[in-house]
Amino acid sequence: MTSVPQRLSSAPRSTASTPPLPRRLWNALRGLLLSEYFILYLSIAYFLLISLFFPTLLEPSNLSNQLTNIWPLLTIAIGQTFVLIIAGIDLSQGSVMAICSVVGGVILSTSLSKSVMSNSPLWGTLLTEKGGILSGDPNAVLVAVLLMVAVGALIGFINGTAITRFNMPPFMVTLVSLLFFSAFAIYLTQSRNIANLPDSFLRLGQGDIVSVYLGEKATPQIKRTELLSLVTYSAVIAVALGVVAHFILSRTVFGRQMYAIGTNRRAAEISGVPTRRVITLVYMFSGACAGLAAVIYSARLGAGRPTLGDNLLLDIIGATVIGGTSLFGGKGKVLWTLFGVVFFTLLLNTLNQMRLSAFQIDAVKGSVILLAALIDVTRNRFLTGGRVA
Amino acid sequence: MSNKFRGLALVVLTAALLLVNFATLHPTTVRAQAKKKVCFAFQDLETEFWVAGHKAITETLKAKGIDVIEVNGNQDANKQLEQIKDCIAQKVAGIIVIPQDGDSAVTIVKEAQKADIPIAIFNRPPTDTSKGIVVVADNKVIAQQAVEFLAQRALRQVEITGNKVTPLILVGDLGDPNAVGRKDGFYAVIDKYPALFNKPIEVATEWDAKIALANLEAAITANPNIDLIFTSSDFLFPTIRSILEPRGKWLPRGQKGHVIMGGLDGDATACKLIKDGFVDATGVQDLYYEAQLTLDGILGAIDKGETQPNRVLPDPGFALTAGNIDFREKDMWGCRLLAEGFLNKK
Repeated sequence: MTSVPQRLSSAPRSTASTPPLPRRLWNALRGLLLSEYFILYLSIAYFLLISLFFPTLLEPSNLSNQLTNIWPLLTIAIGQTFVLIIAGIDLSQGSVMAICSVVGGVILSTSLSKSVMSNSPLWGTLLTEKGGILSGDPNAVLVAVLLMVAVGALIGFINGTAITRFNMPPFMVTLVSLLFFSAFAIYLTQSRNIANLPDSFLRLGQGDIVSVYLGEKATPQIKRTELLSLVTYSAVIAVALGVVAHFILSRTVFGRQMYAIGTNRRAAEISGVPTRRVITLVYMFSGACAGLAAVIYSARLGAGRPTLGDNLLLDIIGATVIGGTSLFGGKGKVLWTLFGVVFFTLLLNTLNQMRLSAFQIDAVKGSVILLAALIDVTRNRFLTGGRVA
Repeated sequence: MSNKFRGLALVVLTAALLLVNFATLHPTTVRAQAKKKVCFAFQDLETEFWVAGHKAITETLKAKGIDVIEVNGNQDANKQLEQIKDCIAQKVAGIIVIPQDGDSAVTIVKEAQKADIPIAIFNRPPTDTSKGIVVVADNKVIAQQAVEFLAQRALRQVEITGNKVTPLILVGDLGDPNAVGRKDGFYAVIDKYPALFNKPIEVATEWDAKIALANLEAAITANPNIDLIFTSSDFLFPTIRSILEPRGKWLPRGQKGHVIMGGLDGDATACKLIKDGFVDATGVQDLYYEAQLTLDGILGAIDKGETQPNRVLPDPGFALTAGNIDFREKDMWGCRLLAEGFLNKK
């Protein structure tokens, strides 16, 4: 005859499985920090908090406005995300935008002033008083967009080749590209903007596909000024690019190879990853994204501008890093970059509302990016030094 | 997976909260609670002209009890466009802008007029002046007046020496219609007197003192016999001095070797240099008159309920020269600043 030991049937429940409150709080905070939605939560919390003091942030027109600011920055930040994932960096994106903007202007312009442009080396050949080389042509916009993206990809190819074939540091290669192509863009146009672009191109940066009206329909006619942009051409471009980029990163062998290179390039090489090809293609993609961003920004500003993207580098890298893409490589997602761009755009919107000076805004931006980099380091330490939550 | 659901739930909750806010928030109520707002968008205030213009506009608006939203584009056209759109979203009553260049000004005016907010462009006109309230000096005519005086000085020099005068022009950023006008005004006079002048030398400055310094240094080194200099903006006089003085060419009127000099803007530095004899003439944009035109234009449009006012308000300007400074200096904004001790405060 056996009997159930008393201890087992009546033994009190152990309390060792419920950690004390401070430890639970610590685990919760750690979980939040390591969550891939951390920046989204932060953006929402920040926005709701600041809107208590600045209620105009909640105005539908302000929100619609911020949406239109998100798409161009997202387009170029996606390219930077790819480069950071492979533990590289692309400082030349701003100057790629500039040269692509000039290329677009040279193709599209419908008329130019001799007194303004006559000193340009392109005057008399590619640029005349009648405008650019495809002035008035119905296919001009398509050709211009394709060529702008192609030129961006070509510059990316040059960068990638220099990094892989000559083993030059990405920082140095892309810094040289930044200087060279900025100067080249200014030389080609002698600092003049190439204006008078066709309306069909301008719509890519300024036009709406879907507009909305919020509120009660008090009158039969809705005033034009009360219509808000919801879906714009630049949104479609940015979202389509985002979907393609996400697919590449999450569903393709190429994407996995990128992460492998970013984590440990040497190990990836030994494992048979064609690192040179992957790195070159990534820089080409980054250049192509800059070319596409040049389409949106040039259309927005209504001219081919040789100084386009001059002050954008901090915003591009800042938004990407804030989103959670690691500066050390091996970690990054398109969705994170979207969150980073949203937060960055919100931040700038709120700082403008606070009526800070331009220099104070730059100081705050720099501080936030530094904080984001510190959080990245902290997250890495948790992931490599402790257990994953 | 649970993280994703948590995140999604949070987003849906936030969207619901925002929708409730939209339904109850009445923008007109918010506007009624605040005083009238005017957005003033400018670029970096790098020269005396812009500093004085900014001060004149902001102080006058504030004195009238208007809330001024100031935004600095930092020489970035896209940033300025986003700032203007922010101002529009804040439902300002009017916008005053100093644009980065004529092309970006067209885009900015279009955005403001799309939102039915009156907009005035101060001094730096859009390439299409048919839209917006455009306050602009006739730069070509003003430059012509100043250079005409320099030509008379050149005539005297040619009579004495028997040699043609070699002129040099410091050209501004030709994306700025003001720079184009000043260049055209200079050449209109030079081409009128072919017997007086050799082929002019052009020096690009892009409205940047560093670029001007480098390019002018190179030009003077290559052409040491330059004896007439016209600068498209008075803010470059210190740069010119830094190059001429070490070469012994920074000499006042009456001394042998004096380089005939002129400029445009009419700032305090130019006024002092004309009084001291180093500069012979400057074209004057009547800054305070232009500021007044801008304010009258925008406030008048706001009061009348005009949503898309379009007009050009010209500033005829004039030339302040060594010949008329005694009786016209009171009309020049730079001389007024000089009298107030502006250069001593620096």
